[in-house]
Amino acid sequence: MSWISTIIFLPVVFLVIILLLPSRFREWYRYITLGTAILQAGIACIIYLRFDQAGSDGFQFLEKVPWIHLSLGNLGRLEIDYFLGVDGLSAPLLILSAVVMVAAAISSWEIKENMKGYFALFLLMDAAIMGVFCALDFFLFYVFYELMLLPLYFLIGMWGGPRREYAALKFFLYTLFGSVFMLLVIVGLYFSVTDPVSGAYTFNMLHMMDAANFVPGAVFSPEVVQTILGVPARLLGFAVIFIAFAIKVPVVPLHTWLPDAHVEAPTPISIILAGLLLKIGGYGILRICFGIFPDSALYFSWFIGMLGVISILYGALNALAMKDLKKLIAYSSVSHMGFVLLGFASFTTEGTSGALLQMVSHGILSTMLFFLVGVLYNRVHDRFIPNFRGLASHMPHYTAFVMVAFFASLGLPGFSAFIAEAFTLIGTFNSQSVNGLLPRWMAIAGSLGILLSAAYFLWTLQRMFFGTTRFRGGEAWSKQLIDLRPHEWAVLLPMALLTLMLGIFPSLFFDLSNSALANMVQELFETGKRHLDSLQYTNNLRF
Amino acid sequence: MTSLIIVSVLAVAVLYLGLFKYKTALLPVSVTGLLAAAAMAAMDWDLEKMYFSEMMLFDNYAVAFSILLILTTLLIFGLSRNYFEKISNNVAEYYALMLFALAGGVVMVSFHNLAMLFIGIEILSISLYVLAGIRRKDPASNEASLKYFLMGAFATGFLLFGTALIYGATGSFNLAAIASSGAFESALFRAGVLLMMVGLSFKVSVAPFHTWTPDVYEGSPGLIAMFMATVVKTAGFAAFLRLFLMAFAEASAFWAITVAILCILTLFAGNITAVFQDRFKRLLAWSSVSHAGYLLLAILAVGFSASSAVLVYTIAYSLASVAAFGIMILVSRARGNDHLDSFNGLARTNPFLAFTLTLAVCSLAGIPLTAGFFGKFYVFKVALAQGYTWLVVLAVINAMIGIYYYFKVIIAMYMKENANAVAIQLNPGFRLVLSIVVFLIFLFGIFPGLIANIL
Repeated sequence: MSWISTIIFLPVVFLVIILLLPSRFREWYRYITLGTAILQAGIACIIYLRFDQAGSDGFQFLEKVPWIHLSLGNLGRLEIDYFLGVDGLSAPLLILSAVVMVAAAISSWEIKENMKGYFALFLLMDAAIMGVFCALDFFLFYVFYELMLLPLYFLIGMWGGPRREYAALKFFLYTLFGSVFMLLVIVGLYFSVTDPVSGAYTFNMLHMMDAANFVPGAVFSPEVVQTILGVPARLLGFAVIFIAFAIKVPVVPLHTWLPDAHVEAPTPISIILAGLLLKIGGYGILRICFGIFPDSALYFSWFIGMLGVISILYGALNALAMKDLKKLIAYSSVSHMGFVLLGFASFTTEGTSGALLQMVSHGILSTMLFFLVGVLYNRVHDRFIPNFRGLASHMPHYTAFVMVAFFASLGLPGFSAFIAEAFTLIGTFNSQSVNGLLPRWMAIAGSLGILLSAAYFLWTLQRMFFGTTRFRGGEAWSKQLIDLRPHEWAVLLPMALLTLMLGIFPSLFFDLSNSALANMVQELFETGKRHLDSLQYTNNLRF
Repeated sequence: MTSLIIVSVLAVAVLYLGLFKYKTALLPVSVTGLLAAAAMAAMDWDLEKMYFSEMMLFDNYAVAFSILLILTTLLIFGLSRNYFEKISNNVAEYYALMLFALAGGVVMVSFHNLAMLFIGIEILSISLYVLAGIRRKDPASNEASLKYFLMGAFATGFLLFGTALIYGATGSFNLAAIASSGAFESALFRAGVLLMMVGLSFKVSVAPFHTWTPDVYEGSPGLIAMFMATVVKTAGFAAFLRLFLMAFAEASAFWAITVAILCILTLFAGNITAVFQDRFKRLLAWSSVSHAGYLLLAILAVGFSASSAVLVYTIAYSLASVAAFGIMILVSRARGNDHLDSFNGLARTNPFLAFTLTLAVCSLAGIPLTAGFFGKFYVFKVALAQGYTWLVVLAVINAMIGIYYYFKVIIAMYMKENANAVAIQLNPGFRLVLSIVVFLIFLFGIFPGLIANIL
């Protein structure tokens, strides 16, 4: 029994069942979906328990089956494998995906129309997201990556808010813009890398990460500088893939799809967007951009760190100005994902571990935050901050969870985000003395972002939840705004406990990822440095 | 060869059936005949036989494309029950003309002599001039026919002139003799290559020789437009590639830059104009122009598994086009026109049609796990292997534009409402053909090795 294939294809099996069930069983669809998500979470637990944490620099749970093999005449053979596996980087994200899926499945209770289509697309997206985190063949990765887009497009476009068509198409085109160019780099890499055993060209990401497998003189070979259209090929390849994933993260200035998509998407889709999709961007940057082009990553590290700082500050300042609660949280996501970029750019184990924990922690917290907005919106169909006042006395349980989520997000010690942001900043701060990549002021600017996040979260808390109770909708709203229902507890309580647990016992997470990340950062830095020294790009991008 | 004879005889037989008013027998006879022709073609696999003192060569290339043409025609016939009856009483002519055109197509993919290329193109084209104008009382149909005929006549002129010049330079019509003549440097030869390129570009609607395409597609009956977009385009490209592969490959340094420029022009002309279309048929016409651009990319990579790339691409494109045109016919018949607004709310009234059309346009746009994605991927790959990076970058930008306009119809179907829309009735032929197409698009999308290993 191969656990990873099961966790990916379980949703597909249930998707077929949903498609075959006639519409009169429509109430069952959501139970089937929830059941699938819970089963996946169970498998994720098994993967967590069976994961060999001690020697985990290599990949585990490997599966490899030939998929597309064709002969290309004088070009040799094209080999694409169905190749899966997880390591200390992808395992936490895979487990996070399973957890967030359960929350999203519960929150899908609010979907009332065309349920067959909704749940079928939901499960398809579920499968694709799991696949993205496990794929180790670049072509397979790309297929999962694109496959995830289409269901999301429909989920936003058909079940979203008033401007859903615009938001869905914008989201789709932005992501696709990045990914089609990524496809070209994939093909270029394919022509540059051979399998050390069979000698055939390969899409295998593990082979791509090993500089020894590059064909001498190939376009992306790290030995000599090749140029494409006058730009060094490896730098260009890195930049193209980086932009593709930076759109997903999203990094300012490529973030403009995010507020639109979040505002228009239904709650469960917002949860998945913020909780998982953004993580795919971060995962892709570390695994693919940094993994395959470590020299370019070093070369651009100042620039990447700068983008991280800009995202942190710009996102936070925007969040401060928002009147729509959902938009506020969307911009806070931009700000929090900036830390991930900063941590990666530092090329230190602390920074990278912090960044990965930040992804997991933000996955949990943004699920909570968007769910909480959904609770409010479902009751009164309004989420403008000035329209609410004094919710604390009216909905005490709800307010309690809002406070947990807000305080956790702004980095209160004891919650996961604190550990994550602290480690990221430590890594950034050390970077100047350890490897000289990022200047210290970036760490200081990053901590300014934490301060700003405290400002917007606390200000929101004060505006909406404290003071005398007064709603724009008057008496009618007071009746509709009832406190949490049982299924809402079922989402919020486990999430709150999770963030608390990761905050108090971060070793639950670090044990899983640490040895893999420590090796990886070390190795990336060394190979990157070696290639960078031998390549000798003329102008250095350190301002 | 047997398959070509079967198709030609079948066309004549169908005419006789029409003469004796056996209308109900037309479809069964045609379908059986085509199946037999396809089977016969398959038996020629790996035989590499020359016919008529090297006029034609049935190699694997010819066999693969012949089978593709025959099976596509078969799919189109599957949609044609009760279709032509609505247009006129003389149904047999439609089947006969389409079969004649198919015979021309088979000649075009199997020629080994420039004379046969010309004959094949003429058999195909003349049948199509008639088919385009077959709704005699409809001014649009007349316009289509006249336009197609005038443009086609010009193109034929260019083609003939080119053939003559090449004969002058090399002293032969035979492809192998041309390839080994060593006259590639002569001005006569070069002018001949360019003129033939112009002539063929007309036929496959490559910009700037594409201007007839949208009007002709729009004026012709839907099924004929479908036939033009699939069978005619496939045959045209197979002939184009065969000529440049077997005769002019050595001179590729000379014509490659021209093809590259044609490719860019075609991509941008097709895609940018398609963005502004609000009728689905015209949109498909312009998108078919743009697909010619992607196919030219493969022709640039002559010798580097280009034939396999063209085969994969045309299979994917034909399948998707059959579905897209088929649903366009259904919708415009049920709702009066093919305006994009007519597709509003189709997802609610006909989920199957909406799903099929979504899959078809995703395949045309090149979304993964559809056949079209692998087609594009393959074409890009062979072009990149040849070092045409800048060209592929432009093609990718065009693929993005393509997604924008293809998704307009998806938006209409799924995200716009139409309160008084009623469900469209499907006859069994449509249901069968569309199901087959859906199955094949998925099958070739997930296991592209099935078609990519043929050539």
